[in-house]
Amino acid sequence: MPSLDIAGLIARVAMGDRAALASLYSAVSPKLFAICLRILKDRADAEDALQDVFVKIWQRADRYAATGINPNGWLAAIARNQAIDMIRSRRPAADTIGEEGLEIVDGSPDPEAVSIGLGEGRRIDRCMGELPPERADAVRNAYVEGLSYQELAERYDVPLNTMRTWLRRSLLKLKECLER
Amino acid sequence: MSETDDSDRDRSRDEVLAAEYAVGVLSLADRKRLEARIEREPAFARLVAQWEDRLSPLEPPDEEMPPRSVYPKIEARLFASSAGLTRSGWWHSVAVWRGVAFASMAAVVVLLGLQQGLMGTKPSPVSAPLVAAMKGEGSPLALLASYDAASGRLAVTPVAADVGQPRSLELWLVPGGDAAPVALGVLPQDGQGVIEIAPAHRASLGDGITLAVSVEPPGGSPTGLPTGPVIAAGQARHP
Repeated sequence: MPSLDIAGLIARVAMGDRAALASLYSAVSPKLFAICLRILKDRADAEDALQDVFVKIWQRADRYAATGINPNGWLAAIARNQAIDMIRSRRPAADTIGEEGLEIVDGSPDPEAVSIGLGEGRRIDRCMGELPPERADAVRNAYVEGLSYQELAERYDVPLNTMRTWLRRSLLKLKECLER
Repeated sequence: MSETDDSDRDRSRDEVLAAEYAVGVLSLADRKRLEARIEREPAFARLVAQWEDRLSPLEPPDEEMPPRSVYPKIEARLFASSAGLTRSGWWHSVAVWRGVAFASMAAVVVLLGLQQGLMGTKPSPVSAPLVAAMKGEGSPLALLASYDAASGRLAVTPVAADVGQPRSLELWLVPGGDAAPVALGVLPQDGQGVIEIAPAHRASLGDGITLAVSVEPPGGSPTGLPTGPVIAAGQARHP
């Protein structure tokens, strides 16, 4: 379903239209369920998460209008955040905010890189391609599977702090590339 | 160190935190801390939304059909029942009462305290009006219903009203047991005013009954039973 129709459904949901919620569910639940399932890796948990996701969509639809972002991205973010909160409560991860002086190195622009007019999806592929392959891989796995810093560090067999530095630098580089 | 350096550092710190939140790598405690900031700080919420948008193309395109049982559970949680609205069951749904019970109890307690505080004396149980404070969890609306048995007039006063669209608010008497809700009347658009209770229903209004307000198409429910969400409900008693 085109974004415009999804945005229209969200607007109707914001006005308390129950039929619109049912239509929105039909249109996007397979996508949102896939997101929950990929992160939670358990069908019963993913079903519970999907319920919570639609309760939140109903409650927060009125806030969507103000954001002006892509409706599919907004919906996907609700699903990801719900699933990630749930998996973190099942498998606790180490806190990382504020336990050390936050060291951030801004990714410096690469003057060699040329911006090519590609669609959004392809553009992120190109920008991921500018990162060292292992780091791009870590960003992708963190996002797609909802892994914690700790889980990423174990998977790539590096200290947690190293993983954190990798990921932060990679994300800032990614942003810089996407905005180029 | 100048203020500009400080605010630059705060900005890039927030940029990184927003990115980490959007990717999802943080612990639950860190996520909750940032979620509180998202609620409070529009600028930080915008950073997070931008990151969520920026990263969304990383989402694989696969889809998975959820089982049919999920949507009815969502409707039950939000509206108490889906196509339901059957005579039994709807009003007894755990979801509705879990949502409204705590809020309405709290409101009634506050109301009692207020009345006694204002009047300074214990109101006579005979002449005092029957009062219900109706409030739904997360609802922008709370209503105060006051029924005078002598005149058969029920006055409804909004404590806060923000329906925000052309809908009617309909007042219902919930007798309890398996009995279906009884429509008492449609409230004026702003949720303020007096409803004349039909003589047939007057005997039903007493301690322990529940009053509820649902959102209905203009003019009231076409079916004689609530069709829209219950936005407020509360038990009535003589203060």
